[in-house]
Amino acid sequence: MVFTSSEELERILMDLWGRIKSDPSMSGELVRSKLIVQFRYREPEGCLTVDGSDGQELKLVWGQYDKKPTIEMSMKADVAHEFWMGRVSVPVAVLTGKMVSKGPTPKALALLPVIRPAFNIYPEVLKQAGKEALLASG
Amino acid sequence: MLPFTFHAPTRILFGEHTAGSIADVVKEFGGKKSFIVTDANLFKAGVVAPIIESLEAAGLGRTAIFDQVPPDSDIRCVNSAVAMAAEGGCDNIVAVGGGSVIDTAKVVNICLTYGGDMLDYQGLNNLPSKLSPLVCVPTTAGTGSEVSLVAMIKDAEERKKLLFGSRFLAPDAAILDPCLVVGLPPRLTAATGFDALTHSLEALAAVSTSSVISDALALEAAKLIFEHLPAATADGADLEARSHTLVASTMAGLAFTNAGVGIVHAMAHATGARFGTHHGMTNAVYLPYGLEFNLSAVPDKYALAARFLGISRSADDERAAMDLVDGVRKLMQRCHLPSRLREIGVPDIAEGELAELAEAAVTDPAIMFNPREATVEDIGGIFKGAF
Ligand SMILES: NC(=O)c1ccc[n+]([C@@H]2O[C@H](COP(=O)([O-])OP(=O)(O)OC[C@H]3O[C@@H](n4cnc5c(N)ncnc54)[C@H](O)[C@@H]3O)[C@@H](O)[C@H]2O)c1
Ligand SMILES: [Fe+2]
Repeated sequence: MVFTSSEELERILMDLWGRIKSDPSMSGELVRSKLIVQFRYREPEGCLTVDGSDGQELKLVWGQYDKKPTIEMSMKADVAHEFWMGRVSVPVAVLTGKMVSKGPTPKALALLPVIRPAFNIYPEVLKQAGKEALLASG
Repeated sequence: MLPFTFHAPTRILFGEHTAGSIADVVKEFGGKKSFIVTDANLFKAGVVAPIIESLEAAGLGRTAIFDQVPPDSDIRCVNSAVAMAAEGGCDNIVAVGGGSVIDTAKVVNICLTYGGDMLDYQGLNNLPSKLSPLVCVPTTAGTGSEVSLVAMIKDAEERKKLLFGSRFLAPDAAILDPCLVVGLPPRLTAATGFDALTHSLEALAAVSTSSVISDALALEAAKLIFEHLPAATADGADLEARSHTLVASTMAGLAFTNAGVGIVHAMAHATGARFGTHHGMTNAVYLPYGLEFNLSAVPDKYALAARFLGISRSADDERAAMDLVDGVRKLMQRCHLPSRLREIGVPDIAEGELAELAEAAVTDPAIMFNPREATVEDIGGIFKGAF
């Protein structure tokens, strides 16, 4: 397992999404989409909701969330790590069942190019969290 | 070699008149009361008769027959079929028809097995467990839905299609009986054949997900279609031609459901959702353009196909790939298929509407498997070219 605990997963992903939120080129698109996207992780457990539904501000909520998401994406936390490292082929992950998407698939796919710039931010987030060893592991 | 997964869980039975022994297959999967899903044309034409006979003789029905599936089935159709199946206490489904019927049966099975709203199950890999037994008898040689892991149902209000994709969606058995395809009119024979050809050529080009297994199926399927589709189109009663194209469409189905499709399907989905054009016909019109668009990304794959099909002798990949595009255009002509969107009922659209259509195509799930990234502008260009 890449992340040793749910707390660590939370710290790293909330940091990453906080940076996505403060970059208008990414958060602007997410807010314009008005989508509520929920990421559900296992090994370790975690749940992150990215809510742009009010069209104003991107809300980031870890854990329980009361609004029904438009799209739910479920995967192992390791797959999420590989994804942010830019190493996951989404079509392969879909065909092998590593990624589960619930809801309108085209809307989920439309977000991919929007968040792609965050691939460059993720290594910095890992360094901040003292996990730079993960960067070396190929 | 790169790692890959290949799913082929459907038992495939081929033979003239095999549909007449469908009851044996249903029984093996534990079915006791069958729910038959079909469409009104097929029912009236007597295509479903041998299936009903077999099930009745074995004491498995006639519990319920839903024959109201329209081309490009929608949410409402699924809901009324589910109500009927539930009322009849059916525990297995038999689908007899083209892709519209089979996709309907798949989504009916989701609702029947799990209960609740179908919208909760749309998405990818989003089904929790095995479904009730489903046996499919295709009456078109095209979609490959009888072995595929996907189903699409129209949301008529939103003018888009809901996508369901899961390994649990693969039917338990596919019964390929060429006798049931005999009545398919020439235009639909050609169009559905081109759906299968598109599956095969797009699966071959889906380089990030294809495998040697999917490639082998795709190539052989394309070859069978090139060799037999003109005859099946010219003479629907030619059982040899019907047999080869039917098996080819199932092979192409296995190829694409494991490797994915591409830009041609993405554009056909967007166009079909908007203008109600037939899926195979729309694929046919876009296919040469899609091949041209991808040519620079996968000349080796297209060259491989062109040489395997015997339509190119060039040692140069690009030249051979261009021969493939030519060969596809010639095959369209031999099958009397239209080559322009306007001939299949697509109106000339304004820039704004074109942008919407292109947006739908670039976010269509099919496009993620395409070997070359396509922008909204690229799609717009192809649309204008094909118009
Ligand atoms: N799930 C998948 O893997 C998959 C793949 C490709 C396409 N599709 C879907 O399949 C649908 C298209 O299916 P299709 O091309 O098979 O056409 P179809 O099922 O819509 O049928 C088209 C017409 O042909 C008639 N017909 C069918 N078989 C006949 C026969 N033997 N004799 C006389 N008439 C016959 C039908 O009554 C209908 O009017 C689309 O909705 C498409 O989205 C699904
Ligand atoms: Fe298709």
